Amino acid sequence: MTGLAFVWREALAGLRRNITMSIAMMLTTAISLGMLGAGLLAVRTIDRTQDLYYSQLAVQVALDEPTSAGDADCSSPTCTGLREQLQGDPLVGGVSFESREAAYQRFLRIYAGQSILQLVRPQSLPATLRVTLKDPTRGDALVAEYSGRPGVRNVVDQRALVQDLFTFLASVRNAAFGLASVQALAALLLISNTIQVSAFTRRTEVGIMRLVGATRWYTQVPFLIEAVITGVVGALLATGGLVLGKLFFIDRLLGGRLISNAIPAVGMSDVLLFVAPLLVVIGAIIATATGYVTLRLYVRN
Amino acid sequence: MLRLEHVTKLYATSVRPALDDVSMDVDAGEFVFLIGPSGSGKSTLLRLLLREETPSSGNVFVANWNVARLANRKVPKLRQRMGCVFQDFRLLGDRTVGENVAFALEVTGKSAHTIRTVVPEMLELVGLDGKGDRMPAELSGGEAQRVAVARALANRPLVLLADEPTGNLDPETSDDIMLLLDRINRTGTTVVMATHDRQIVDAMRRRVVELHLGKLARDDARGVYGASR
Ligand SMILES: Nc1ncnc2c1ncn2[C@@H]1O[C@H](COP(=O)(O)OP(=O)(O)OP(=O)(O)O)[C@@H](O)[C@H]1O
Ligand SMILES: [Mg+2]
Repeated sequence: MTGLAFVWREALAGLRRNITMSIAMMLTTAISLGMLGAGLLAVRTIDRTQDLYYSQLAVQVALDEPTSAGDADCSSPTCTGLREQLQGDPLVGGVSFESREAAYQRFLRIYAGQSILQLVRPQSLPATLRVTLKDPTRGDALVAEYSGRPGVRNVVDQRALVQDLFTFLASVRNAAFGLASVQALAALLLISNTIQVSAFTRRTEVGIMRLVGATRWYTQVPFLIEAVITGVVGALLATGGLVLGKLFFIDRLLGGRLISNAIPAVGMSDVLLFVAPLLVVIGAIIATATGYVTLRLYVRN
Repeated sequence: MLRLEHVTKLYATSVRPALDDVSMDVDAGEFVFLIGPSGSGKSTLLRLLLREETPSSGNVFVANWNVARLANRKVPKLRQRMGCVFQDFRLLGDRTVGENVAFALEVTGKSAHTIRTVVPEMLELVGLDGKGDRMPAELSGGEAQRVAVARALANRPLVLLADEPTGNLDPETSDDIMLLLDRINRTGTTVVMATHDRQIVDAMRRRVVELHLGKLARDDARGVYGASR
C-alpha cells in the first residue's frame, strides 16, 4: 500500500523536522518510565526476598534431652513415632531429621572463628525434626499440636520469629509500589502533555492538509507513529538507564558479602525480560492513547 | 459544474445569516468573480463548496457530489478534485516548495514516479521552475501564491476556488497571478474567485456575481466591479 509507505516517511520526516520537541519528549518519557521501572524492580526484589525466606523457614520440633542424646539417626521409638505422625499430618510438606552432632557441625560452620564457639558444647544443642509446611502461614497450628508431646522439648515456628521483618518488608514493598504507581501517573501526564503541545502546534498544518484533500489516515497516522516511536525510544533509553544503574549502583550496593546472602541480586534478566518489555508496552500505549485522544480533542475534521 | 439551491447559512454565533437564500449555477469552464463588501458572505460561499461548512438549509452541488449531504469520510475525495487558493497562501511552512506540491499528489495516492514528473511540470506551469528546493519563508508573496496555485492544480481539479488570491500582493504581482489564473481557465478549469480588487475585475470582463449582506445582488455575464453603485 503506497499510503503506508507515505505515512512512515511522513512520521520519520516529522521526527526530524521537530527534532528538539522529539528529543524533549523522548527524554521526558525516559525519565518517568525509568523511575517506574526502578519502582517495579524494587517491588520484584522484595517479593523475591520474601519468597527466599519463606522457602527456607520451617517449624522446628526440638527433641528433649534423653532423646537427643541417644539418637543419631531417628531410630528411637519416640523419634520414629513423632516423625511418622508428622509425615501423616495434612499440613506437613516434608520432615527431615538433624541429629545433635549434625546441629553442632552446622553451628561450627556458621560461627567459624567467633568467640561464641567456646561457649557451646554439642550437649547444649537438641536434635530436631525440621518440618516444612504446605502452607507456611499455618505454623501456629503445628506448634499448638506438638508442643508438650512426649520426647518434645519445644516447637518453634521460625516464621513467627521473623514476622516483624516480614511486616517491615511488606510495607517497604507497598511504598515502592505506591511510588511506582505515582511515577506511572506522572509518566502518563508528562507524555500526554508533550503530545498535546506537539499536536497543538500542528493544528494549522493539519488544517491545510485537510483542505488539500488529505484523509485522517494521512494527517493522523504519521503523528501517532511519531508518538509511538517516541514512547518506545523513551522506554529503551529508560531500560539503558536501568541497566547502567544495576551495573554501577545496585550491584555494588548488594554485592557486599553480608547483604548478598540476605537479599537476592537484581538479575540482568529482571531488567531486560521483566521491566524492559513492560516499559516499552506502557510507553507505546500511553503515547498512542494520548496521541489519539489529543487529536480527537484538538484537531477538528 | 457548481450549483447552489436556496442556500442559507446562519452561523451559530450570529443573528444575520451570512448567506441568505442564494441560488446560482456555474458551468464547466466558466470564470466567475465573486464580489461584495466585507462580510457579504463571499468566503462563506467558497467554504460551503469545499465543505468546510455545511449550509443551514438548501443544497450545494459540485459536479455530481451533493456536498452538504456528503459523508465525512468522503469529503477528502471531494477536495482532491477541487483546488483552492487563499489570501494567506497556506503553504506547509516546514516543507520545501516541491514537497508542498508533492503533498497534494501524495494524499491522492499517486505513485512516486508520477510525483517526480508532475511536480516539476506544475512548477514550470506557474513559472517557478528550479525553485523546488526553496522553503516557503524564502519566497516573495507572489512566488508563494504561485506555489499555492501549483499545488491546487497538481491533481487536475474540476474547479479552482480562490479566496482573495491577490489580497496580499502588490498590483503588479496581482496582475501576474491573474494572468496565470486566466491561462488555467482557458485550458478548461472552472475558476471561482472572491475579490475586492476593482481593477482586476474591470480589466478581465468576466462573469461577476455580487453578494450584499448575504443576498445575491447581481449576476452579470461580462460585468465590472462597481456597476450597481
Ligand atoms: N466562523 C464564523 N462564525 C460566525 N460568524 C462568521 C464566521 N465566519 C464568517 N462569519 C460571519 O459571516 C458573515 C460573512 O462572512 P464572510 O467571511 O463570508 O464574508 P466575506 O464576504 O468573505 O468578507 P471579507 O471580504 O471581509 O473576506 C460575516 O458577518 C461574518 O462575521
Ligand atoms: Mg472573505
